[in-house]
Amino acid sequence: MRARTASKVAWAGLSRNRLRTFLMMIGIVVGITALTLVLSAGLGAEKRVMERVRKFGLSSLMVSAGGGTERGRTAGMTPAVTLKLTDADALKRELSSIEEVAPFARLSQADVSYAGRPSTAGVFGVTPAWAPVWDWDAAEGEFITDEDVTALARVAVLGPTARKDLFGDADPMGETIQIGSAPFVVKGVMEVKGTSPGGGDMDNRVYVPLSTLMRRLANVDYLNGIKLRLLSADDIDQTVPAIRALLREQHRLAAGVPDDFSITTPTEITQMAGEVAGTFNVFLVVVAGISLLAGGVVVANIMLISVTERRREIGLRKAVGARSADIQQQFLLEAIAITVTGGMLGIVIGFAGARILEWVTSTPTVLSWESVVAGIVFSSLVGVVAGLQPARRAARLTPVDALRA
Amino acid sequence: MTDPLIRAEAIDKVYTKDGRAEVVALRDVSITIDRGEFVAIVGASGSGKSTLMNLLGCLDRPTRGQIRLEGTLVSALDDEALAVVRNQKIGFVFQIFNLLPRTTALENVELPLLYSTRRDIVGLARRALEAVGFPLDRLRHHPGELSGGQQQRVALARAIVNDPEIVFADEPTGNLDTESSAEIMALFQRLNAQGRTVVVVTHEPDVARYARRIIRISDGAIVQDEANDPPAELQQPGPIAMSSSNEVRQ
Repeated sequence: MRARTASKVAWAGLSRNRLRTFLMMIGIVVGITALTLVLSAGLGAEKRVMERVRKFGLSSLMVSAGGGTERGRTAGMTPAVTLKLTDADALKRELSSIEEVAPFARLSQADVSYAGRPSTAGVFGVTPAWAPVWDWDAAEGEFITDEDVTALARVAVLGPTARKDLFGDADPMGETIQIGSAPFVVKGVMEVKGTSPGGGDMDNRVYVPLSTLMRRLANVDYLNGIKLRLLSADDIDQTVPAIRALLREQHRLAAGVPDDFSITTPTEITQMAGEVAGTFNVFLVVVAGISLLAGGVVVANIMLISVTERRREIGLRKAVGARSADIQQQFLLEAIAITVTGGMLGIVIGFAGARILEWVTSTPTVLSWESVVAGIVFSSLVGVVAGLQPARRAARLTPVDALRA
Repeated sequence: MTDPLIRAEAIDKVYTKDGRAEVVALRDVSITIDRGEFVAIVGASGSGKSTLMNLLGCLDRPTRGQIRLEGTLVSALDDEALAVVRNQKIGFVFQIFNLLPRTTALENVELPLLYSTRRDIVGLARRALEAVGFPLDRLRHHPGELSGGQQQRVALARAIVNDPEIVFADEPTGNLDTESSAEIMALFQRLNAQGRTVVVVTHEPDVARYARRIIRISDGAIVQDEANDPPAELQQPGPIAMSSSNEVRQ
């Protein structure tokens, strides 16, 4: 039988019993809808990860105090005190592939208030290099300057979230806020940055000069980290060992002693975020797979019943010259037509659902060709697997047996 | 060609039920049917006449014995080859019409053509329907919307649409009233007059009277085989409507 005729016959078989066709389709629609949603959400998550990496900076590195897995802390939960300003100076002096060095110290949850209105924010002591290293500047007013650092000035630049918490819609410029009990004059507001690779709000921060934080607020002589920007992203692989060697020399670490610092690269950020998204995706794919499986079982079941119901039709077709292969092809095509039609419906509903999901939960979703292709491939696959057994059974009927029914 | 159209030699058909009890439906049956014959196979229910039709019509294979169609040993062919033989050489009309439900008259007639390599499927189906006197304004009607006589005409058109050598009919008037039965049998006579071989299986003597040869079968064996001269009032002279199909072709 010609292919076009065959699909016409299969389609006619389906339209002759619309209710049965509809019932067979439902499971597949649900399964492919789930699959499309998963893929859209998964690609959305991936996109978000890439955005975070971009925020971190593709040519950026982070040197954190403390070694091993407990970044920022040494064993025993005391703050890591190993990273010093001299380390930052040495990095800038010794390594030519480094463009900017931004040492910083931090009070992670400090009490901040304005006119008696209390709030909590991360207080960062930074140098002017912070802005170019993060590609992040003040949206209003100006960022911390070299003069501020030299003068140990009591000035602060607010992140957008901190600004909103403290001032609401009022103008913060020139106003005095309290960090702990110390007064600081607001001289700028940062651009919006969003969520950090670790999931924190990078906008709920208050920036002050590094010297001011170290000597006036925290009274420490160590840094929490040094953010670096390289001249080129291609240099990362060669530069990481150079930084390690230099810092070990600075810290006079003997061979065999583990690092008392750690270095984070954009690749690691991607992996960190990817692992979280990956676990989530595996779970969702399993859910989509189960619903597709259930849909396939329904199709196979109803097809088997329909083969019994349509014995007479099968017998007649064979009597007038249909070969077993023609019958098998017809039933297989019917199954595939059902699942692929259901699959396409599922793709449409899944895309609509993804948009709704994005709108309701503000989780980004991505509608992609990959989802369409995956939907069609998986639904055809289910059709083939579900239709094979019923089609074989139909093909095996002899014309005499089928007509006798 | 010197071969007869069908030659069956010493055929047995034994059905096995549940793998043990054997039912002998036909025993040592030999029969020859020539081109252009109009044969009625007559017998009571369970006599084996339908089994004989299934075997001669290549729907089934005998347990023992040989069947040749135009000299080809069809009893030795496999399922796929038999399907091709049925498609090209044989037409069937069944007792209960056996039309596909919710499918138009035209599409029902197209069915055998779907499994052939013929072109102009719609045109051939139309001409076959016209040849059996089917009202052409009902081509798009479903079987449920047609009378019994019209449904059997659709079935007859389907049997001849592939221009077969031989048409088998199993109780073709079983579900029809007297008037429709006479019309359908007259159609078979016309088909035969046009040169087509017709084999009708029936238990009704009235139906058998239209044939030119009557074979009686009882308990799986042929008990009588004789020529029949249809009474004058059953004679349908002249060619059938096929010759006027030029008008429709336009």
